[in-house]
Amino acid sequence: MATLKICWRLRERNESNRIRNAGKPRSPKVICLSRLAKIFGQRVAVDDLTLHVRAGEIFGLLGHNGAGKSTAIGMMLGQVWPTQGEVHVCGHDVTRRRSLALQRVGAIFETPAFYDYLSGWRNLEILSHYSAPTPAERIREVMEWVGLAGREQSKVKTYSHGMRARLALAQALLPQPELLILDEPGDGLDPEGIHEMRQTIRRLHGELGLTIFLSSHLLNEVEQLCTRIAVMNQGRKVFEGSLAEVKQPKNWVRLRVNDFHQAVKSLREENLIVDERDGQFVALASEAGTDVVVRRLVEQGMAVYEIARHEQTLEDFYLGLMRNDSDR
Amino acid sequence: MFYLQLRNELWKLFAKKRTYIGFLMFLLAQNVIILLFRFTNGPRVSMIRTLEGNGYLAQQFISALTVATFMLLPIAYLLLPLYVSLVGGDLVAKEAEDGTLRMILSRPVSRLRLLLLKWLAGAFFSLALVLALGLFGVVFASFWFPWKGLFVFIPGELFSVFDAAGGLQHYVVAHLMMATKAVTVMGLAFMFSCFNVKPAAATILALSFVFVNFIMQNIPYFHDLQHWFLTYHLNIWQFMFAQPIPWWKIGESLSILLGFNLTFLVIGLTVFQVRDIKS
Repeated sequence: MATLKICWRLRERNESNRIRNAGKPRSPKVICLSRLAKIFGQRVAVDDLTLHVRAGEIFGLLGHNGAGKSTAIGMMLGQVWPTQGEVHVCGHDVTRRRSLALQRVGAIFETPAFYDYLSGWRNLEILSHYSAPTPAERIREVMEWVGLAGREQSKVKTYSHGMRARLALAQALLPQPELLILDEPGDGLDPEGIHEMRQTIRRLHGELGLTIFLSSHLLNEVEQLCTRIAVMNQGRKVFEGSLAEVKQPKNWVRLRVNDFHQAVKSLREENLIVDERDGQFVALASEAGTDVVVRRLVEQGMAVYEIARHEQTLEDFYLGLMRNDSDR
Repeated sequence: MFYLQLRNELWKLFAKKRTYIGFLMFLLAQNVIILLFRFTNGPRVSMIRTLEGNGYLAQQFISALTVATFMLLPIAYLLLPLYVSLVGGDLVAKEAEDGTLRMILSRPVSRLRLLLLKWLAGAFFSLALVLALGLFGVVFASFWFPWKGLFVFIPGELFSVFDAAGGLQHYVVAHLMMATKAVTVMGLAFMFSCFNVKPAAATILALSFVFVNFIMQNIPYFHDLQHWFLTYHLNIWQFMFAQPIPWWKIGESLSILLGFNLTFLVIGLTVFQVRDIKS
């Protein structure tokens, strides 16, 4: 019954959002970071980070451990003071008007911490009252939505890892957020838990129409969920764009010949390729086709064993970015 | 809203088992002292000798109130600071250590409001602990000793005798004054708790501050400077047993304690406000 009520309310909200946004060229920016920097002592944790996330997006912030993702999230939530730059969330400056900015924001961290000696219900009550008085009915609805109905009065110390993750989601959903910030949501979960988490994020986006900002070092997770991503390395943003851009940035083909380096040299001289990597991939120039490449190589007496289109995975892209960045 | 948030802070505090260590230890310590006083001769004989040496009929003053007050001194000097600083040191640092502080601060609550709520919860605990100390003492002592006059003797400080009714009044007022001591020590530990330290470190820093003050205050060389030490003002409650009560001295100490409390709170707030909260 409660689930039905939520869905009905959500549909209503989505509909009103759709009507409100009709005719507008682009959705509003929900997160706006401009020239953001954070220095801890001598260490630059975040360096000149500019980022925009629009309403309705699932935005992924990628980077290895220590790249500055959590510090960036800390600054978005007003937990870490920026050394320089501005952070706007839901249209409000977080450093100056934090309470307003976070009014409709929910957050989940990599290891959700709770008062283990209290019940799940009491935990939700305590945390939600920091936002606004929350009726018991609302807590019940959310508990049901995340699948914890029946266990609300059990102490959190008796919860499994997955149940704690669901409780974390419940506390984030209580203030009826427009924006959900997830810091490494898949960390520490088993494959089943990761799958469940992924499904939940899709539901939150689809059913509740939430804007979701998630940070992760798990490429697969980001690849399956996000519409747009940014990549951070050593505190700096090294890429921002859509997943489509990531997957087809260049016209990559796999080329197997008897002498790859000689083939690359020859194709470059003819301006038929623009890049090469890993001793087997070449990026074709925009006007070049595989037939032209094969003809040229055969004319030069090279044996071509294989030529095939190659769609770049996020992993290829990410590793390439990291390589290029460390070469710089 | 403020009431709800304060209620939640109290929930968090009083649902933890370690919060009750102080209450439990008071119960144990007081009952052990009462039984020793009842079934051994040493302390009783010494008290009788002091009373009769000063021309009083000792049996009129070996009472529940006298024994409860006799126990108060060591407990208030040693155990009370320990348990209030244990809780005060936990209030912020434990939440930071456990990660729940990060969960709270992802909510639209200001750091100032959060700290005030926590400080109030700590002050409530301190009051409850002092109340329990006074109540346990007098209730358990009355199981073994009659309800008669009150005799208080602190060597070099005071020698007072009261009838039962007057004694009870002084006993109650002394506990009200002792609450200021408990709140101040809790506030000191709370201030350290706002720094980026472990809860145990905050507790140890607060206790070190109190005990170093106490040691210095009691070195004869510093006797003339004792008004400069925090512990002198913390222990002003014992003057509530003086005849007459030195109200001017009490007022002076209360003002100084108020100043200390405000300073601790402002330092704590400032440090917490500028701190980065990281996992």
